[in-house]
Amino acid sequence: MAAKTIDKALLDRLPVSFSSYCLDQMKDWDLLFPAEQNYFERLFGLLGRSPGEAVDRLFAPLREIERQMGVNEKTFPRGQFTLEQVDFLNRSPQYTEWRGGITKVFSQLDPLLDAEVARHNHARLVIALAPSQLPADPDRMWTRFPDRGKRVALDLPDRAESFLPLLLTGQEHGAPSIAELFAAGKKGGPYASWIVEAGAGLSKIGTGAAPVVKYSYQALDGYRQRLMKEVQSVVDSQEVPGPRQLSARLKQMKILASEGDLARDPILAEFARAILLSGNGTLLINNTFVEWATVQAVRRARPSVTVVGFGIRNKIKPFSSLLIFADQNASNPIPSQMDTLGSYVDLEVFWQYIWQEFEKYPEYRNNTAYLFAGDGMEQMLVIAPQDFPLLTAEGPFKLPAVFENLKEWLAV
Amino acid sequence: MISLSKRRFVQLAGLSIANRIVPRWLRAQEPRAQEHSAGRSGNKVIVVTFGGGVRYSETFAPDGLRNIPRLVALRPEGHFFKSCTNSGVLSHFNSTASIVTGNWQRVDDFGFQPPASSTIFECYRKQAGAGPLDAWAVATNKSFSSMGSSSDRALGPNFGANVVLPKQLLLEAVQDVVKKGTAGGVANRDDVLARLEGVLAEGYEGVGWTIFKAGRKLDQQVRDTLVRGLVEYINGPEAPTSGDELTFFITREIMREFAPRLMLVNFWDMDVAHWGSYSLYLNAITKTDRLVGMLWDEIRANSAYAGKTTMLVLPELGRDGDQNTANGFLNHRSGDPSCRNTWLLAMGAGVPKGETDRAVYHVDVAATAAGLLGVKPGEITGVPMRELLL
Repeated sequence: MAAKTIDKALLDRLPVSFSSYCLDQMKDWDLLFPAEQNYFERLFGLLGRSPGEAVDRLFAPLREIERQMGVNEKTFPRGQFTLEQVDFLNRSPQYTEWRGGITKVFSQLDPLLDAEVARHNHARLVIALAPSQLPADPDRMWTRFPDRGKRVALDLPDRAESFLPLLLTGQEHGAPSIAELFAAGKKGGPYASWIVEAGAGLSKIGTGAAPVVKYSYQALDGYRQRLMKEVQSVVDSQEVPGPRQLSARLKQMKILASEGDLARDPILAEFARAILLSGNGTLLINNTFVEWATVQAVRRARPSVTVVGFGIRNKIKPFSSLLIFADQNASNPIPSQMDTLGSYVDLEVFWQYIWQEFEKYPEYRNNTAYLFAGDGMEQMLVIAPQDFPLLTAEGPFKLPAVFENLKEWLAV
Repeated sequence: MISLSKRRFVQLAGLSIANRIVPRWLRAQEPRAQEHSAGRSGNKVIVVTFGGGVRYSETFAPDGLRNIPRLVALRPEGHFFKSCTNSGVLSHFNSTASIVTGNWQRVDDFGFQPPASSTIFECYRKQAGAGPLDAWAVATNKSFSSMGSSSDRALGPNFGANVVLPKQLLLEAVQDVVKKGTAGGVANRDDVLARLEGVLAEGYEGVGWTIFKAGRKLDQQVRDTLVRGLVEYINGPEAPTSGDELTFFITREIMREFAPRLMLVNFWDMDVAHWGSYSLYLNAITKTDRLVGMLWDEIRANSAYAGKTTMLVLPELGRDGDQNTANGFLNHRSGDPSCRNTWLLAMGAGVPKGETDRAVYHVDVAATAAGLLGVKPGEITGVPMRELLL
């Protein structure tokens, strides 16, 4: 269902701020993930099937708020939802009411849409990993939601470098990862399994035999450096008068084939561009990239298996906060230093944020196992439905046993 | 002997007793206190904002107190308003413009329009006949260059504040040093200072500043003052790292040299939260706390300010709550309570010690400042904080 296929009579029934937002999101239909396309199909399918009077009743309060705000064809050309429209809404005295109106609409639509998802749902898995350099004991980890899950003891391997391969493949080398196994299975597909990481190590684990979406801050270094230079150049040359025009220019800065395999898939290429240019710190801070890419992946692609690997960010050098689009290694010859303590503080917040993000969507509620682990750490936090095998068994567990439990959970 | 009617006697006796038994803040509710007061003679007002936005949870909530040791220590000496709400647009420019005008501003978010109603700077300068060096705004974001005056035709730039944006100056200098690729890059303090002075010599306008022409001698004085701030900053005991330290040094030099009666000081480093590092955000809050403490030290040590200055400290806005749909502390647009509910700490001249649960609003700051300065604000939404106008 591309935007042009939506019934015009239905569009006319909808408040223009609502329809414009949806149409804007749908305008690059071919660059949407299947999950996004499916969502819009279900949303407009539901509205299209509903009696006209019911649709009118649902949107009547929002229409009234729009009237008070002065929303019209001039302020909101249909299908256009740019910074101009965002500004218009933000600056309106009725902005709070408008947000409330939108929330109310979705509070009535979401249960119906969610029920459809729940009927076709399956078990999912999220593994979120802390780097080995993090200076914290397990009892100081995941402190923002300690009561949500169970801490499970692990029997660590003799070789520290075996931790991640054993957890993700069950073997030290040469075996497919849990992400690959799911991607190759009957519920898999090109966007079902994701690895998002600060470094590049997780992406190399496995056999490469199945399509797994891989976003690595480190591997995208060339693209990031080019983006920073180009953005700085645009700003310096004062070719663009303000943020609105800059936003349009940024949309043209696509990843090149030489900058990564992501360039081969237009959807993934566009996702990379959007992550690096619309999440403020994603160009500069590895863990911000990881968090934002994960959050956006959940919102947009709804992966079934997600492996998230955070890293240690570098200390910010003097004046770097001024140079948003500059490589701090080039601007200051003092060697970079790792900020292990700062990274620990950052991650304590991010564990919570990514878990919350998954739990917002019906695909994940009540059927997702979350493993919060640290490379080389003798304990992990497991949040999962009661029937997740690791919750009932007694530890400590060897990592291959954990892997077998994950396979059983995903039925791969 | 003065004779009093019985009725008049009872009235006076009642007032006399009331003065002793009614709390001072309650008396301020009496109609007279709401009216325009003459202000305190020579009273000065400094409004300090945690620009960029900071949440309650990282400041005056129990878990946040560790991040703001100076403010925690100052709180018992001042008057703490537990609830100061930003009910306006949750962008930086509109938030601060609401603070300085007393009306919720809904102008361009990026500073392409000046505030739509008169600022406290204009009201003060026009009514008090104050000169161009008597009202200053020391801010950070380039969009704030139009913060000093409004689009009010009867007032406007001729009565506005000088606006200096130290971080923009620094940015220009640092970028230049980086571009030239000099040995040591921005780690070389001498290079950075030389470039800072160079940018300053080339003219203020390029970095978005508004400095009123005040005659050649005075212009030189302004320039020398700003350079002194730069030198102090670059050669200070700690390695200069950010824009807010420069904001402090420039503010201090302006206070020492021109002793303006009205100032806005807008710290900004905590907006690093947009980068997505919680630890950097916390560090910036603690740095701002330290700089606010140093500013208060300067007020007490500077004879032009000691004993006659009211300092109002408040966050420009909060930031999104951890449960928020956008991305928690990274942003500040959701409109949830974490974005809107902030606090205000008043210190200094005539400020009664204590705290109040009574809700006040960002727009009340301009009304209060007007009362303290003895000027009439224009048509504004905000009302004076009666606790501070006794």
